[in-house]
Amino acid sequence: MPQYSLYEEEFHPSPWQRTWRAFKESHIAMAGAVLLCVFVVFALFAPLLTPYGVNEQNIDGLLVPPSWTGNGSISHLFGTDSLGRDLFTRVIYGCRVTLGSAFITVVLAMLVGVSLGAFAGMLRGVRSSIANHLPDALMAIPTLLIAIIIVAIFGTGLVNSMWAITLALIPQFVHHTRSLVRTEMKKDYIVASKLDGANKWQLFTYSILPNMTEMLVVQGTIALSIAVIDISALGFLNLGAQSPLPELGAILSDGLDVTYLAPWNVALPGMAIFFLVLSINVVGDGLRSALRKRVNH
Amino acid sequence: MMSSVIKRVAVCAGTALLVVSCAKQNKQPFYNTGVVYCSESNPVTFNPQLDTSSTTSDATSHQLYDRLLDFDPDSGRIVPSLASSWLVSEDGLTYAFQLRRDVAFHTTDFFTPTRTFNANDVIFSIDRWRLESHPFHNVSSGSYPYFESLGLADNIADVTRVNGYRVEITLKRRDSSFLANLATDFAVILSEEYAAQLFEQGNPSQIDQLPVGTGPYRFDSFRKDSYIKYLHHEDYWRALEGDVADKSLEDESLEESSDGILASDRDLSAEENVANGEDLNQATVEKAPSASVKQLIFDITPRSSLRLAKLMTGECDATAFPAQTELEVIRNREDLTLAEKPGLNIGFWAFNTQRPPFDNPNVRRALAFAIDKNTLLEAVYFDSASRAKSLLPAASWAYQNDADDTAYNPVLARSLLAEAGIEPGFSMTIWAMPVERAYNPNAIKMAELIQRYLREVGVEANIVTYDWKTFRRHLQEGLHDSVLIGWSADNGDPDNFYRPLLSCGAIPSGTNRAMWCDEDYDRLINEALKTEDLDKRRAIYHQVNRLMYERLPLVPIAHAYRYQAYRNEVKGMTINPFGGVRFGGVEKVL
Amino acid sequence: MIRILARYSILFVLTLLVLAVMSFSLAYLFPGDVLENLTGIVPANDAQRLALERQFRLDQSYFIQFFYYLSNLFAGDWGYSFTSGIALRDEIGIAMPATIELATYSIMIALFVGIPLGYYAGMRCYSTSDYIINTSSITTYSFPVFWLALLLILVFSLQLDKAPLSGRISLLFDVEPVSGFILLDILLSDMQNKSLAFKDALSHLTLPTVAIGAVSTASMVRITRRSVIDARHQPYIAAAVSRGLSGWQIFFRHILRNALLPILPLMAIQITTLITNTMIVETLFSWPGIGNWLIQAIYQRDYPALRVGMLSVSTLVITLTITVDMFNRLIDPSREKYEHAAI
Repeated sequence: MPQYSLYEEEFHPSPWQRTWRAFKESHIAMAGAVLLCVFVVFALFAPLLTPYGVNEQNIDGLLVPPSWTGNGSISHLFGTDSLGRDLFTRVIYGCRVTLGSAFITVVLAMLVGVSLGAFAGMLRGVRSSIANHLPDALMAIPTLLIAIIIVAIFGTGLVNSMWAITLALIPQFVHHTRSLVRTEMKKDYIVASKLDGANKWQLFTYSILPNMTEMLVVQGTIALSIAVIDISALGFLNLGAQSPLPELGAILSDGLDVTYLAPWNVALPGMAIFFLVLSINVVGDGLRSALRKRVNH
Repeated sequence: MMSSVIKRVAVCAGTALLVVSCAKQNKQPFYNTGVVYCSESNPVTFNPQLDTSSTTSDATSHQLYDRLLDFDPDSGRIVPSLASSWLVSEDGLTYAFQLRRDVAFHTTDFFTPTRTFNANDVIFSIDRWRLESHPFHNVSSGSYPYFESLGLADNIADVTRVNGYRVEITLKRRDSSFLANLATDFAVILSEEYAAQLFEQGNPSQIDQLPVGTGPYRFDSFRKDSYIKYLHHEDYWRALEGDVADKSLEDESLEESSDGILASDRDLSAEENVANGEDLNQATVEKAPSASVKQLIFDITPRSSLRLAKLMTGECDATAFPAQTELEVIRNREDLTLAEKPGLNIGFWAFNTQRPPFDNPNVRRALAFAIDKNTLLEAVYFDSASRAKSLLPAASWAYQNDADDTAYNPVLARSLLAEAGIEPGFSMTIWAMPVERAYNPNAIKMAELIQRYLREVGVEANIVTYDWKTFRRHLQEGLHDSVLIGWSADNGDPDNFYRPLLSCGAIPSGTNRAMWCDEDYDRLINEALKTEDLDKRRAIYHQVNRLMYERLPLVPIAHAYRYQAYRNEVKGMTINPFGGVRFGGVEKVL
Repeated sequence: MIRILARYSILFVLTLLVLAVMSFSLAYLFPGDVLENLTGIVPANDAQRLALERQFRLDQSYFIQFFYYLSNLFAGDWGYSFTSGIALRDEIGIAMPATIELATYSIMIALFVGIPLGYYAGMRCYSTSDYIINTSSITTYSFPVFWLALLLILVFSLQLDKAPLSGRISLLFDVEPVSGFILLDILLSDMQNKSLAFKDALSHLTLPTVAIGAVSTASMVRITRRSVIDARHQPYIAAAVSRGLSGWQIFFRHILRNALLPILPLMAIQITTLITNTMIVETLFSWPGIGNWLIQAIYQRDYPALRVGMLSVSTLVITLTITVDMFNRLIDPSREKYEHAAI
């Protein structure tokens, strides 16, 4: 259907632009987005932003308190840990490791989950039943349990914990893709494409996938916050990243031994995880309500 | 209206949470009926003969068992325990022990004793590790590391029963540290009756899992990684007998000593008994548990910070091994007590005396004079150690308070170096061990400090470190110029320091890090083992100290303290420098 | 109704079978020798190895091995832990109720605090109180549960000395395990100091329950609020309003139940998160539950324990999830039509 406008200068914002406008209206969501940007900058430019090497030890400056306390020193903004490593440097690198690995995990889970989900959503009959229920059953297995099993088979390490979390995240994407595909498949425009002779692959790539991006973005942010929490939790439990790798959970776990002497070793990495997750959640929430507003509009 | 209902629900839920969270653990008298000790790990077994780890002996040795003899924690002398007195023959080869009567074994769910402690139990307990043919020798692991490392089994010719309450042990060679070995945590006395019963039931290994002993507490239950529960032993012999009873037993032993071999040893034994008499005045080393303490619980908490946390909240009454970094926190708390005592250990700086120029005593002395030990103590041990003058810590009975010590004197150091022909700019290596030990919590830091001192006297030091396994292998090969390392002893006998650290025989076994072999030194320490007279032995060890000061194969640096942290309401805790913790006599008072 | 029950039982059995196959295959996936992983015995010679293999049916085909494994599971012979030597069934029998207890109290908090708050916020959406509830829920939801637990320990245990930080009850009390639930067991027992023990156990429960409950409550608030707002925008509400029903009537007749329906399947997902959080918090409070137990087992590479532990935890979670799902299916007639192809 040819579309023409009466007035040449009338501006039709694209769906994304409309979402962005709705998003901008919420100050909280914007604040979250700014905070998240800061974390992303930390993650991308960690080596440029940090004053020390990440595992650089300073024997003479063990457990230096943060700079804002009475006996802190400005040379160590967040103080140092029990090996004299600069905590600011470690936390920045920690954001890089934790956020980066969480991001990779989510992208991987999304790729696998969406393909499986689309496949399951287009199937019919017994095969569909199996393809539907196996992931649902898997979804019920707690992440920690999957991680424990992966660690038992492959040993500890950041990469192995990433595999475990990917595995745990996949079913969610499968679930959502599948139900979305299934609802879409019943819609008229799909029937129209089918009548036009589109095969399943064409149906999926040209008709369904564009409608899925929003769901994927929203699910992606949810998955990202879960992934950050899980990666740091596994690091904290010594099942994931191993010290001295600067993963926020592992840094926190290192700090536990000196909790009473140097509480900032527990407080600051924990705070970093908290704000990281908070900013992701706020952005995700903002995106969701912006999308909802657009759809309802 | 609706909102007010919901509000009320919310408020109610909130208050309920608050109320619950404020349900503070009241300090009811019930909490005083048990002592909870936060220990660091699981015991490997409940029989300390089988394992030398301090975790095992802490958990079992002084709680469940008694030994024939004990160390006095203050003087380090050997005092009677299950043996009320003992006699040593003139040739030093035969030891006769008079045993205490009416000592009850534990009555538990799994064993009801029909008789009290007697000679059979002693013979069983010693023969178990001594004789490979013994039916119980191969039960459990079949290895008795403490006794094996000392070659004690080979040195015992025989253990015989003279009568029900007298046992004789015959040695092949003279060994004046023998009694000290019988007083260590590992030489516990098991119940022969219990063993016989288990053997009949075909379940001998139960003896090391469900233990029976004569100690102040009896075994109740054990859950791995969570707790060990002991109950108060009602018939504990120290609770039933007072010092008076000890005296009467002492008299009895003198009367009985008129038979056989013992009579012929009278001359020397009389002298020995005088010493015993002294000791008997201090016989209350281990005390009976206070009647108010019905339970002793080991709460197994591997993480040191969690142990401290539990101590703060009162979930533990005492804790094992507070970390060095936590000591200050404990000192600052008003409700906690930190007890400290010099431990049986030594941290030192050893020179490889087989590599020139360190084969020259003057070079070694020069280097020793170049460093300031007090600074090292402050910076590395945070003052949690005492300055070492010789090998022996103050806890040992042979400690020499006025031993010669090298003082910080860079001028003397420089002139000694010049005399020895060492040019300024001479370079050497300092090996710093990569692990943290009580006797040296941070060897690398210490090496850096020493490096700075040596630079002042014109010696350039390079610090070398490897992973612990490689480090020890290279040390064994003698690749080092000097090394910062140390030693922890198992018992209070001075021989446990002098022999493994510097004797010729200890070079191949890998404990003599100075690679030092000195005829005079070896002659002296062997001589010291040939006499039972403590004063004579002490005099010999003082000569050894003098010799060491002159030839200086190693620079003694520090004896680290042993720490024990407990809550103020716990009374009667003492640090036992010669082994594991003791809970007999501990009670809780508010 | 019967058809639904039958369908769900088939689903349940099949899922358990898949889990059993997975846990069976773990023995072959763990690094090292299968025999050693299963028995903890290193055979001294070939003869002994053969004898052991015969004893554990390792010489037979995988199918027979699997059948043997299943029959052992049903017979209650779950094997023995490497490290403690205690029968795994006994260990899990002690650890599992401890976890369930903690999770139950936490979910209670989430239900009794989270749902009313969610309703309130949803009904008053975009008001100041909604704003406060929503902000605090998203904040609480963003707490990594282990850090929250740590903060609670630091503040309430160490600074204020209000609550103990480890275990279920002071070790001085000797509670006979009957049901496995400590509070119930104390009430059932005939011990002295009953009230003291009860108080002690309650104070031990508080902090971990609050830590897990807070995160669950936050997500419950968010789910409920969203669902209520969605329900309020439905056409039937507009119809009800136009019919002149009062706010109360609309709430009770139309919103209350209709908003609950979408919450149920989301709750099923919450169960998984809840169990994960419980397992993590257990390790911080030294709670003798299954999470703590499994993490100890992985530190010590106790393979038989991991295998059976994994099976029992996932069975627990899947039983709960499927029950909630089935319940949801039974009370939600609208699901009939679009899920027809599901099974």
